[in-house]
Amino acid sequence: MHNLSAIQIRDRFLKGEVSAVAIVQYFLDRITKYDGQIGAFLSVFPERALAKAKELDKRLAAGETLGKMAAIPVGIKDNIHVKGEISTCGSKFLVNYRAPFASTVVELLEKADAIIIGKTNCDEFAMGSSTENSALQKTRNPWDLNCTPGGSSGGSGAAVAGRLCPVALGSDTGGSVRLPGAFCGVTGFKPTYGRVSRYGLVAYGSSLDQIGPLATNVSDAALVMEVIGRHCEKDSTSMVRNTEDYLSKMSGNIQGMKIGVPWQFLENLAEEPKKAFNNSLEILKNLGAAVVEVDLSILKYSLSVYYVLATAEASTNLARFDGVRYGVRSPRAQTLDQVYDYSKEEGFGPEVKRRILLGTYVLSAGYQDAFYKKAQKVRTLMIRKYKEAFEKCDIIATPVSPFAAFEIGAIKDPLQMYLEDIFTIGINLAGLPAVSIPNGFTTDGRPFGLQLIGPQKHDVDVLTTAFAFEKAEPSNVAIPELVK
Amino acid sequence: MSKHYSDWEAVIGLEIHAELNTKSKLFSSAPNRFGDEPNTNITEVCTGQPGALPVLNKEAVRKAVQFGCAINAKIAKFSKFDRKSYFYPDSPRNFQITQFDEPIVIGGTVIAEVDNKEQSFAVNRVHLEDDAGMLKHFSSFAGVDYNRAGVPLIEIVSEPCIHTPKEAIAYCMAVKAILQYIDASDCNMEEGSLRVDANVSVRPKGETQLRNKIEIKNMNSFSYMGMALEAEIKRQIHLYMGNGDASWDHLIQQATYRWDPEKKETVLMRRKESADDYRYFPEPDLVPILLTDAYIQEVRSSLPELPLQRERRYVKEFGLAGDLAFQLTSDKILSDYFEEALKDCGNARVLCNWLLVEFPGRLKDMGKTVVDHGIPSHHLGKLVSLIDNKKITGRIAKSVADDMVAAPGKDPELIVQENPDYQPVHDHGEIELLVTQVVTENPQSIEDFKAGKDKAFAFLVGQVMKLSRGKASPDIVNDLLKKKIGDKV
Repeated sequence: MHNLSAIQIRDRFLKGEVSAVAIVQYFLDRITKYDGQIGAFLSVFPERALAKAKELDKRLAAGETLGKMAAIPVGIKDNIHVKGEISTCGSKFLVNYRAPFASTVVELLEKADAIIIGKTNCDEFAMGSSTENSALQKTRNPWDLNCTPGGSSGGSGAAVAGRLCPVALGSDTGGSVRLPGAFCGVTGFKPTYGRVSRYGLVAYGSSLDQIGPLATNVSDAALVMEVIGRHCEKDSTSMVRNTEDYLSKMSGNIQGMKIGVPWQFLENLAEEPKKAFNNSLEILKNLGAAVVEVDLSILKYSLSVYYVLATAEASTNLARFDGVRYGVRSPRAQTLDQVYDYSKEEGFGPEVKRRILLGTYVLSAGYQDAFYKKAQKVRTLMIRKYKEAFEKCDIIATPVSPFAAFEIGAIKDPLQMYLEDIFTIGINLAGLPAVSIPNGFTTDGRPFGLQLIGPQKHDVDVLTTAFAFEKAEPSNVAIPELVK
Repeated sequence: MSKHYSDWEAVIGLEIHAELNTKSKLFSSAPNRFGDEPNTNITEVCTGQPGALPVLNKEAVRKAVQFGCAINAKIAKFSKFDRKSYFYPDSPRNFQITQFDEPIVIGGTVIAEVDNKEQSFAVNRVHLEDDAGMLKHFSSFAGVDYNRAGVPLIEIVSEPCIHTPKEAIAYCMAVKAILQYIDASDCNMEEGSLRVDANVSVRPKGETQLRNKIEIKNMNSFSYMGMALEAEIKRQIHLYMGNGDASWDHLIQQATYRWDPEKKETVLMRRKESADDYRYFPEPDLVPILLTDAYIQEVRSSLPELPLQRERRYVKEFGLAGDLAFQLTSDKILSDYFEEALKDCGNARVLCNWLLVEFPGRLKDMGKTVVDHGIPSHHLGKLVSLIDNKKITGRIAKSVADDMVAAPGKDPELIVQENPDYQPVHDHGEIELLVTQVVTENPQSIEDFKAGKDKAFAFLVGQVMKLSRGKASPDIVNDLLKKKIGDKV
């Protein structure tokens, strides 16, 4: 069953060929069997999932019409609230934090009869590119257990790659869905900013955060988008007139489409990833697309801009974790100042502290003009440059990352780690939709990812291009040896 | 130069925080209600739960715009919210959502009556922000009540255009009146729904630059504000005067003081040694407020009668003195009561006196007003009508008023009917006896009157009234007395 897509599993269930309970039990068994090695899940909900499965079996037997995601087990990144369950966000600070309300996305999934099977590991508060910043456990890449799954949604990427659940949700602030997608050889989609409600997602960089699906194929990702891509009254940045029929619009025909490539930005690409990327462009051409060059040299500033703006927002978003209302309060604390100081000192890991400090600094009086305000200006400029580029093309293509998955512990310098996101970060700054799809492997069998980027609100075009590509280059059907 | 106290002037700017009386909070659906059990009017937004997001309350925006229109300010078609970072347990996110550099209301003028003259006060800006929770201290610990967290506030910032405590009070009264007339705030200073902070500095008259200012908090009534300003101005002027030519810019250091009503002085809370750094930046979870001309026009044209309009109407239609009209119209409830009472009598000026002087004097010790004491407005109208129609004398009216206060809800006509002492004496013969007695006993006064001293006549009338225990009809007393004195001439 784990070779099937989410849609195929749903259809078999709806036809009565397999019960929802059997589906859930099957994936629970796989989690038991493999997750000890992979470490994708922080928590698994056998009772909750089986109860929902039983309910679905009953309703199907009663002849009810069931939702679009009926009986599909879904993993949820641990910074997205499932009401009544712990949301650690990969942080020691929140190991005792039980979400008092449901995120909009989980509510929509459950309304569509999906089955929430567990919460997946991530970098602490989604800050990282390898999931190594999780304070709670290591997650390993199913393709090579010595390697990271990418991050920050590494648990979701590894869970889908390991076929521990057919689809999972991640969140993407600078590439956190797409990078694990690429490292784990699965599809990761980051929607247009505002497409998916952020209500119930623990904020990192509010103007950049977007929830997106990870799946084994483009159609499954599109199915999840049909369910979660809806206007939400509880999120003021949520787009209106939001609903799209992704699946029926995904024609797979890209004849005459113009694919833009920012060559000057890709100059330093290593041999192996460059080969995979060029090969992908050939495939797109063979499908009838034309490749044109676009100027996005401004993207060389994207890391600098991102690490000013994201950390500025994060420094205030994380100010609420003070040990007063929830989370872990330091038992050493005797005074109010100690509650603040010790709780943060003990609760946050080094990367989170680094980003809070950086964000506090760039917003401080005397520095704000030079950093925060300047970065905002460059961000505006980048948005304009993307717009200009999209006058010349329909979709922009780049690799997802300059490298394939690296070994756990290999990158110690945080600045070096930040470079992992060089190709993905600009997309968040401009609020664009982008997908990461598998486009080949290194000689030692680690996946590469191709990134396809669209103009704002052109989520369907992005997915349709990916869909066409996937049919021509089905790297996605490969399953890691470990979990076959 | 500036050797005398009177050579100095104060420069005062006021920041008024008014809680808007919306149904729900500024960024959540939690009820906006005072006085409930702690932590019952809260949602995940009010306690700053991770993952919760703010959604702007349109009713609060409308009330802010209404206020802006009421003070003839510019309404910003584009305004936005910012995060203001500081750590305190009553702040659920450890940042406040406020409007830093693009407020919803810009400029504006508040007109108030000072010394029987209309005076204009310039407003710098009005912005929307959310209130904090409330810290409560117990013997061994402290708790936080988040019921107030997220309640919508408008902060009304005046220009430093106020120079005396009297002006400050008049300005605040006018602002409060506007808020009440447009039904934007309950303006209850005791419950904290209206809070005033003052920035105060002093300088020699004629000097144009502003000297260092200090901020005063905790002035939870207008009279406390008057006393606090008075005390602080005095303190600063004496400090400058007592230090001769010492370089003045070190004498007063920027600081926050609070008013101590027990000690009747301003007490240092904290020095502002380094400027607070709130790290303002645009709130990414909210979109800017965009208002159309049509919307602003609609709000403007649906404004109710405002206190200033009503005050001018009272002066014009009823001939009330400006300061009395200001005092009356500054209290919407009292002013509405006045208009109701006026339906039962025709004498606005007398009614005004009873409302502003007589009844408040009787109710002061109880801490009540004529309205919340439960005296119906038409009873007050009837009382004035009884006087006007000479059914009772002014003297009796005062006793009737005492009885109305003692038994609120009892009709003054009934009070008069039931008490034989309240029947005025109209009998000429009866009064003439008293007049004769007074004229006989006060020959000196009659001489004085003949010598042209009008006061002497009033004294004689008073003596007759006294003898009649206030019951004699003053008109008859006047007539008979004049006749009597005339006889004597």
